[in-house]
Amino acid sequence: MLEQRYTHLQMIALVVMRVLIGWHFLYEGVAKLLKPNWSAAGYLKAAKGPMAGTFKWMADSPELLDWVNLLNMWGLFLIGLFLILGLLTRYAAIGGALMVLLYYAANPPFIGYFSSVATEGSYLLVNKNLVEIGALFVIAVTYSGRYVGLDRIFYRLFHRRKRTVSEQELTGATV
Amino acid sequence: MSERDDKDLRETGNPEEKRGIDRRDILQGMATLPVLGLFGYAVHKQVSYEDAQIAQKLGTAQASNLREVKVALLGAGAQGQVLLDAMLKIPNLRIQAVCDIWTDFNLKRVINTLKKYKFDPHPYEDYQEMLDKEKDIEAVVIATPDFWHAPHTVACLRAGKHVYCEKEMSNTLEGARSMVLAARETGKLLQIGHQRRSNPRYKYCYNRLIKEAKLLGRIVTVNGQWNRAVQPDLGYPKRYQIPADKLKKYGFKSMEQFRNWRWYKGLGGGPIVDLGSHQIDIYNWFLEANPVAVVASGGNDYYSPETREWYDTAMVVYEYETPEGKARAFYQTQTTNSSLGYFERFMGDQGTLVISESDANYANAIYREVTAPAWDEWVQKGYVTAPKVVEVKEEKSAVLDVRESVSPDEHKIPVEFADLYHRPHLMNFVNSVRGLEKLNCPAEIGYESAVTVLKVNEAIQAGRRLEFRPEEFEVS
Ligand SMILES: NC(=O)c1ccc[n+]([C@@H]2O[C@H](COP(=O)([O-])OP(=O)(O)OC[C@H]3O[C@@H](n4cnc5c(N)ncnc54)[C@H](O)[C@@H]3O)[C@@H](O)[C@H]2O)c1
Repeated sequence: MLEQRYTHLQMIALVVMRVLIGWHFLYEGVAKLLKPNWSAAGYLKAAKGPMAGTFKWMADSPELLDWVNLLNMWGLFLIGLFLILGLLTRYAAIGGALMVLLYYAANPPFIGYFSSVATEGSYLLVNKNLVEIGALFVIAVTYSGRYVGLDRIFYRLFHRRKRTVSEQELTGATV
Repeated sequence: MSERDDKDLRETGNPEEKRGIDRRDILQGMATLPVLGLFGYAVHKQVSYEDAQIAQKLGTAQASNLREVKVALLGAGAQGQVLLDAMLKIPNLRIQAVCDIWTDFNLKRVINTLKKYKFDPHPYEDYQEMLDKEKDIEAVVIATPDFWHAPHTVACLRAGKHVYCEKEMSNTLEGARSMVLAARETGKLLQIGHQRRSNPRYKYCYNRLIKEAKLLGRIVTVNGQWNRAVQPDLGYPKRYQIPADKLKKYGFKSMEQFRNWRWYKGLGGGPIVDLGSHQIDIYNWFLEANPVAVVASGGNDYYSPETREWYDTAMVVYEYETPEGKARAFYQTQTTNSSLGYFERFMGDQGTLVISESDANYANAIYREVTAPAWDEWVQKGYVTAPKVVEVKEEKSAVLDVRESVSPDEHKIPVEFADLYHRPHLMNFVNSVRGLEKLNCPAEIGYESAVTVLKVNEAIQAGRRLEFRPEEFEVS
């Protein structure tokens, strides 16, 4: 049972943030899926920072690259879809955060590292990737999927015995 | 059940009573579904917008009254894919069959791509079977390894197909000769894939700047290069390994050799043939001559000759007797450092042209020698852009050092080329099949280019200057 207390407006704000991030993921996935023979090879090879070697190694092994490409395209697609729908919300949010963490690691705005990829702003340690990770963290630890999302229906279906849980017990929202 | 009942239940909190999901759960549970509708609509809009942009840029939208041409792709590797991407942007071209021996990997990938584009091509492993079965195909586009070009091209021509064959025409002169003869005998078209021959920028430089405006004056020297960074051998996903007996049947000793064929004697020609042939072909074209002699130095300087039999580095000087007089042309290719990428530079007594297929290589400019007549007329006519304005630095001394010349004016070549590199050349081929155009690189030109380039490996081996006899460039 949840101890949190959120107003409905707070819950709606969480849902909106979740859907926006979901949209972003979904389109990143769709755009790659629509491109015939999209590959992460170029991105991986251009990696900077302390993990650069690992990313280059991924790009050099055709076997691994195949998997990286598939996971990337479908991972983004499914996580985006699930975030919008509010389905398995916590897992989608955690998975999404891990993916963005990899993107962050591939081009970290660390002091003294210079990216040859153009960025549109000025960043010091924190960039938009890291902000998105933070937002996904919030999604992962709250219950917006049970407020607005398919998780609500599934929760009702699979916790039949707890038929009478109140809205607050379900989502943390105060009724 | 009504909403009110449910509320009542919550309020009373009676755990005994089993109830289904209430309407509120359904509504709230699916409240974000419309977002997907909106998303789908937005993606649809975006995709149509992108397609329209491409169609507009390539002018494919208007050209739909042209006759449909049915083609097959033979060789679906890296270059096969590049050609395919270009073919997909050619109107009224039907890709009806694809043949490749790497059936589980390259063949499958290309067939899947084509299905996405609403084609339903027939897959083949054996080109003979394809030629036997696909009676209504008019043309075949060949992108197999060099040593397969001759057998594939000759078989296709004899089966009554027109052929677009990738460069290098063949890894041997006998092979290349058999292709020219087969094209002549069958009367079918044979285009060799030196795609710069159809590139609007190259055509513009030759026709407008060199021939018409004569901005270079007499071309005396040429230099060009293709420098590449160190690259590991090409690999392959282990689960798509081709069985040894099948590899052997198609002339490969191992998967490693199958992937890296261009480095092996008897299969490819190494970097000078792979990269050099594109640019040395332009030397012959712009100088309007075939060379009379060549000296070359090269070797296995960096990689192990076990896996890379051909020379990783080559430096070449050709001697030409052009209609205007003597000219010398230097070419270098190395696979160990990529500085300045690839370009060709033509130096005349009145100007210098630096040209490249790529926009990224600091090229595509023309420079006027200070001693040459002014180019104002050509700037006014729009043949070249106005010269780049350079800030004049405070002179250290009023007199210019006699050893130095004033640096030439830089003008840009006003030809934007945003297209896929291979599309104009393929387009020229398809339109020639339709009888609307003439080939820009017919078999004879491909042959002259092959003679010019293959001699480099010979010259490196021989370690001395080799001469070309004029008859060497002819096939009779
Ligand atoms: N014009 C250009 O800019 C350009 C660029 C790259 C390559 N090329 C040329 O394209 C050709 C192919 O090069 P690539 O880089 O794609 O090589 P690749 O090794 O990637 O592809 C060759 C393909 O041919 C298939 N193949 C081999 N033998 C075959 C046979 N007997 N029948 C059917 N399929 C067969 C292989 O399975 C493979 O898929 C070469 O001649 C190369 O010189 C041209």
